[in-house]
Amino acid sequence: MKMTKIYEGAHQWVMFGRDENKPDCIIDSNQYIVRTPNKCLLLEPGGTELFAPMMAAVLHHAPVEQITDLFASHQDPDVISSLGLWDQALSNARLHAPALWEGYIRHFGCESIEYVPIPDNGETIKLESVELQIIPAHYLHSPCNFHVYDPQAKILMSGSVGSAWEGAGAPVFVERFDVHVEKMRYYHQRWMPSNQAKRAWIDRVRNLDINILAPQHGRMFKGDDVKRFLDWFDALQVGTGV
Amino acid sequence: MNSQTKSQFIAVASITSELSAVMVVAKEISLAAANAKAIAFRAGDKAKGFQPITDFINELAKETIELVTSINVYALLLYRLTVNEYRRTAAYNRFEQAAKLANGAPYANSMQEPINHARTVMQDCQRQFKRDVTQLLGQLEAVMHHARAARVIAANSRIEASQAGEYLQSLQAVAESVDKAAHTIHDNVQRCRIALSIYRNS
Repeated sequence: MKMTKIYEGAHQWVMFGRDENKPDCIIDSNQYIVRTPNKCLLLEPGGTELFAPMMAAVLHHAPVEQITDLFASHQDPDVISSLGLWDQALSNARLHAPALWEGYIRHFGCESIEYVPIPDNGETIKLESVELQIIPAHYLHSPCNFHVYDPQAKILMSGSVGSAWEGAGAPVFVERFDVHVEKMRYYHQRWMPSNQAKRAWIDRVRNLDINILAPQHGRMFKGDDVKRFLDWFDALQVGTGV
Repeated sequence: MNSQTKSQFIAVASITSELSAVMVVAKEISLAAANAKAIAFRAGDKAKGFQPITDFINELAKETIELVTSINVYALLLYRLTVNEYRRTAAYNRFEQAAKLANGAPYANSMQEPINHARTVMQDCQRQFKRDVTQLLGQLEAVMHHARAARVIAANSRIEASQAGEYLQSLQAVAESVDKAAHTIHDNVQRCRIALSIYRNS
């Protein structure tokens, strides 16, 4: 599992992904942690197959007992099907996940972890001195969907938005936006169902000061590429499956 | 899922299947008892010896149905325990894998406590499963006992039927159906016992 520190300040952000030992038949996904002195938040923990390498990777940054919070943007298995395993490994943790999906996500196993339901209009996650904003991103692609914004680090963890299908050896940041566009086009056109939802999200996100846009699949966008992505997404017609 | 776990799932699932067949047969015995009672009533003094037997048959069928109903509830609990044991074992294996992969990581040692806990829970599940299987085998033995009793009753019924004159054939048919049902119950329950016996407490 590749680990890339993407923010280093009073707290840290680390991106995990490009697992070389991942079975070929499952999609590669990016996981993130936000590390404060005594706590660790795991964003998009990943699927069951990824649990062991992910846990092993996190142990380079935090002990098990300090993994206190998990976040799932939506209900998909590549996002949170490992929940049943985290549930048995963590003795004192909370899962922040959409309220609408609670009954569904609990199918993955959630007995000891506290499920903290996120209301439709979002909320904040407090991790010691760090306050993270949970931004609504409904219908992008899941009907109840959230992203996480860190105003200090200026990072937006954007879930499925900005995602692309990449091989295990792909770089973690977009290097040439014009080339990368073709890797994202079909994904966004087919996976995102609503131009109206896309418009509302772009309006909301344009007001945020973002240095890194960090999706759940593919490469992250940095600096000017964030604006380039928003402009490109704004002009894209989505919901092409019908 | 390894082959032993698969066999365990199949063994537990097959109990419910075998017992639902037993339930059908027990209900048939109950019907045969009602039928026999009506014939014995019409036969009057000619089937005097047969009349108390019909009550026995009915009682036996009722008890078998009650017993199978309670075993079915127990079998469902056993199935849930099997699922739980599977989950616990899978978690333990993943934790071990994570610890191996984390070798050299600054916080690798912190995995030891979840591993120890997962091992304890997994072993508790395995012990509980064996205890429950032993208990279930005891309950299945009780059904076998009922099946054996039904066969004795069927034999007695034949003797009594032979003295029932023109009702002989009807009452013999009742005795035959009870005997056949008892055989079926015996065979089905025996299959459950064989499937489960390898998991019992030694």
